[in-house]
Amino acid sequence: MTAKSRHIRKAAVLGSGVMGSQIACHLANIGVEVLLLDILPRELTDEDRAKGWTETSKAWRNKIVQHHFEAAKKLKPAPLYHSGFADRIRIGNFEDDLPLVAEADWIIEAVIERRDIKLKVYESIEKHRKPGTLVSTNTSGIPINSLLEGRSEDFKRHFLGTHFFNPPRYLKLLEIIPSKETAPEVQEFFMEYGRKFLGKDTVACPDTPAFIANRIGVFSIMHLFHLVQELGLTVEQVDKLTGPVIGRPKSATFRTADVVGLDTLINVAQGLAGHLQGSEEAKVFALPPFLEHMQAQGWLGQKSGQGFYKKVKDSDGGSQIHALDLKALAYRPSERVKFASLEAAKPMEDLRERMRFLLSAKDEAGNFYRKSTFALLHYAAGRIPESAEACYKIDQALKAGFGWQLGPFELWDALGMERVLEGVEKEGLRLPDWVSQMHKEGAKSFYRLKNNKKEYWDIHQKAYAEIPGQEAFLLLENLEEHRLVWKNKGCSLYDIGDGVLNLAFHTKMNSIGSEVLQGLQHSIDVAEKEGWNGLVIANEGEQFSAGANLALILMLAIEQEWDELSFAVQAFQKSTMRVRYSDIPVVVAPHGLTLGGGCELCLHADAVVAAAETYIGLVEVGVGLIPGGGGTKEFALRASDAYREGGIRTNVLRERFLTMGQAKVATSAKEAFDLGIFVEGRDQIAWHGDRRIALAKQKVLQLHEAGYTRPIPRKDITVLGQEGLGIVYAGANAMKAGHYISEHDQVISEKLGYVMCGGDLSQAQQVDEQYLLDLEREAFLSLLSTKATLERIQHMLKTGKPLRN
Amino acid sequence: METAYIVTGYRSAVGKAPRGSLRFVRPDDLAVAVIRHLLAQVPELEKERIDDVIVGNATPEAEQGLNIGRMVSLMGLDTDKVPGMTVNRYCASGLESIAIATAKIQSGMADCILAGGVESMSPIPFGGWRIVPNAKVAKAHEDWYWGMGLTAEEVARRYRVSREEQDLFGLNSHQKAIAAIEAGKFKDQIVPIEVEEIWVDEGKKKKKSYLFDTDEGPRKGSSPEALARLRPVFDAKGSVTAGNASQTSDGAAFVLVMSERMVHSLGLKPRARLASYHVVGLEPAIMGVGPIYAIPKALEKAGKKLQDVHLIELNEAFASQSLAIQKELGLDPQTLNVNGGAIALGHPLGCTGAKLTVQIMHELEARNQTTGLVTMCVGTGQGAAGVIERIAS
Repeated sequence: MTAKSRHIRKAAVLGSGVMGSQIACHLANIGVEVLLLDILPRELTDEDRAKGWTETSKAWRNKIVQHHFEAAKKLKPAPLYHSGFADRIRIGNFEDDLPLVAEADWIIEAVIERRDIKLKVYESIEKHRKPGTLVSTNTSGIPINSLLEGRSEDFKRHFLGTHFFNPPRYLKLLEIIPSKETAPEVQEFFMEYGRKFLGKDTVACPDTPAFIANRIGVFSIMHLFHLVQELGLTVEQVDKLTGPVIGRPKSATFRTADVVGLDTLINVAQGLAGHLQGSEEAKVFALPPFLEHMQAQGWLGQKSGQGFYKKVKDSDGGSQIHALDLKALAYRPSERVKFASLEAAKPMEDLRERMRFLLSAKDEAGNFYRKSTFALLHYAAGRIPESAEACYKIDQALKAGFGWQLGPFELWDALGMERVLEGVEKEGLRLPDWVSQMHKEGAKSFYRLKNNKKEYWDIHQKAYAEIPGQEAFLLLENLEEHRLVWKNKGCSLYDIGDGVLNLAFHTKMNSIGSEVLQGLQHSIDVAEKEGWNGLVIANEGEQFSAGANLALILMLAIEQEWDELSFAVQAFQKSTMRVRYSDIPVVVAPHGLTLGGGCELCLHADAVVAAAETYIGLVEVGVGLIPGGGGTKEFALRASDAYREGGIRTNVLRERFLTMGQAKVATSAKEAFDLGIFVEGRDQIAWHGDRRIALAKQKVLQLHEAGYTRPIPRKDITVLGQEGLGIVYAGANAMKAGHYISEHDQVISEKLGYVMCGGDLSQAQQVDEQYLLDLEREAFLSLLSTKATLERIQHMLKTGKPLRN
Repeated sequence: METAYIVTGYRSAVGKAPRGSLRFVRPDDLAVAVIRHLLAQVPELEKERIDDVIVGNATPEAEQGLNIGRMVSLMGLDTDKVPGMTVNRYCASGLESIAIATAKIQSGMADCILAGGVESMSPIPFGGWRIVPNAKVAKAHEDWYWGMGLTAEEVARRYRVSREEQDLFGLNSHQKAIAAIEAGKFKDQIVPIEVEEIWVDEGKKKKKSYLFDTDEGPRKGSSPEALARLRPVFDAKGSVTAGNASQTSDGAAFVLVMSERMVHSLGLKPRARLASYHVVGLEPAIMGVGPIYAIPKALEKAGKKLQDVHLIELNEAFASQSLAIQKELGLDPQTLNVNGGAIALGHPLGCTGAKLTVQIMHELEARNQTTGLVTMCVGTGQGAAGVIERIAS
């Protein structure tokens, strides 16, 4: 069999713990049928007997797996793209159901981290497994080569490590660790399957202690733990210093440890300390006293109710966060943290610029950053070639596995070669020879761009080489300057090859203001006039778009610039309509948050190629508005298209109404189909989000090749008039009376319903799009003249959260 | 004026909706089963001598549409000669149909009428499939289209009925109902219903049949603590929960109303008569307290005082409105819903009036008492009450 001829239809996950259950869910997400197995309960308890169970009851025999699976389904954020996908997972137990692994194309072992137990599991798998079936272990610490004992040739050839990170749906790293016996075809298959199907960044790792991400990631944490004591910093201070400000997750260091569980962290650290016994680095992996104390006390983080932080109920029923004093080893109310250099860094949007600034800061924070960063970079450099033969693997692993925005070597490039060399030396550390070698060769950075591909410094060839696997991805950041076709303050238009353009926003949160609207219209004009094949609208950064530029809307509303506002809303509507009505195909490729106006762009596209992790919705109600960029019109249109002879139209309308009225946001691209935002048959999902632009480009070309013709404007939208309006008003009355919505919510609901019904027409009739757009704009503007709406917008701009007034 | 008697009356046990035992029985079939059983107990009566079949129903559409009253007369009487009609006064429909039958007979327009009601709430959403309120009315009168739960909240507010009182009332209803079922009190009034379920299980067609003869709403082992944990259903800040509101249900109940002369000619022994009936209108927002105004009028028409009443069946649409009425009129808890009410036993809307009539007839007999009162609140601001007088044999 070759890597290409393999297909995974069925998988078996053995071990239903936190990882096993969630891995099963993620396989279900991409359409694989999963068998999830675990052990029998030890004994029949009184509680079991009370349920009428005996030792032969299926429910008792599957009690453990059932319990774990139910817990996984309740996790937030959800491990499933869609709650209905739970049906794709069948549960069972090792005693009764192991023969079923014969049907699996891939068997994933995710049992407890003990070599003897894993070996036993493999032995029983071998009794049922068909030759050629893939088997992998999800271990974070046990050497893969130590797990081959007693296995058949066929088993060994098809066996390797597949290391997922918790939570497996959301953390993008999948470490692939072949043993010395793994067939190259098998490794090749997983590298590709992980990327294309599981949506992961796959990184091939040698079988070295803790592989790549944990080796360096846990080093970074443990090093901090020691450093904290040395510098006398508090838990809150370190979390402030090591969070988003340096491009790391919000939970930073200590809160991440609480979430992941200290036992997991300790397990990896001790494993490493054991493997590296006697070496200099083993000292870093030794547990500091506070960690030993916490372990002894069972303060393991979230799972045990307390770790570095603890939620404490106060007398008036509220709750307060307490933090652990690392010296006194007692909890005290958590304190607000301030560092002068952090304040100064706040306005710097660019992370690289911020890092340069922070590392040269004169205060305590600067000192902390220098010590922690240079130690990290030194350690990362030292892992080449032992843990990874190339720098890009380390960067990929830490970015995808730990949620860092910059990998160590990217950070190094951002800081500058000379500066790091100097800094590391000042810390009394010595870099490996290959770094000085590279420096001598005149290479100033680990990465560079060439021919729109990213290259890395290859220490064996002592030259730059292309990072493999880039073909499937089309990253705007890798495009060279001459590919920029046009640009204004809010967006850039790129030539992404094969006659396809890409418009990307680069405003704050990729919000849509006048520059972006201008860019939209201009891009389509250019594409039409200059004979391009089509346009992709896709952005980089954390989200596609947070929606319209609210600050601008608020300013105009406060100044009562009604003409200008009306003009602005009209411009928005014209832009989305232009997306729908042009001579070229326009494909939108959203990812992450795609709200309000961002969602409206998707609604008007010829097709959408969304990253699996797209959180999309029409949330305007949250800021006291209704979708005003054609979204309300589009939902009315889609409701109309769903009306059937003899069907109950108000029910169809109500569903559309509620999706907007409750500001529903899909928690995955899959869910967006259920919300009626994405359209079956028209829109598609990219499991690996970074492939979305490449796939969107293909979609453009496909639409172009199929003979794209500008759609004919719609004049056949059935609106219900008063037939629908009655239920809108009655519903809003009841929701208000039941305290489910506020008075202002009621005002908004009625306006929203009014637009969707086409106003108070005597009976249902057909109308055109412009009629609805005008109603939409009227309602939008009238809401902007209310105090409550302005308060909502202000609140959102200030706090990022909706105000319920 | 001719006297109209209730010769006898029966009901089905009440199934929970939408997932209870009667969900596989259509309302027309359910009504027919009760009527056939009833007529089998009166073999003296030739079916063609029945003048009319009046079926109360609060949602006469879908399975209950196509004039279910006529469908029931056609399906249930083995003749096409007996007409049928559907009556809708929401939750009083079952009692209203008995009142209409009584009035027709009293005026000489008819001698023998089957009257009652049926409701299957399992297949039909509350309020019906297609609700189209008048937009102008909805705008002008916010409460006219309120769901009943909101009116229960309004009553709780205006009459100061606490959450604790409501929960206790609900718990009490379940306890009384369980006791009644365990004592076999409903046995003689219930028509066992044959239920057949056909479904597909793992590709194979399966079939099962069972007899349904016991009310399935009442719960054992509930507690004030468990009830206190329930969340309000209709108002985020309210007090009405699933534990202190009536259950949605499936059920049917019918009585045979007959003129005195026909009773004599057939040599029958009537069991009771509807001595009076009165319906009032009031503000829709507090429809729940309709009986406060309907009861005195009904008593007055029957020439009775509240003290004369031995038993009261007050439909427990909600504990809040039941308590408000009880407090306002000073109803004696010892006489009120002695075998539990709709919170435990269920409330199959259009059937309820007839069901409570059947229940009170039996209980008056069991206690050897004479005067009963059946009363209920009715949606969109109405209240109904009827005095039932037992005819001692």
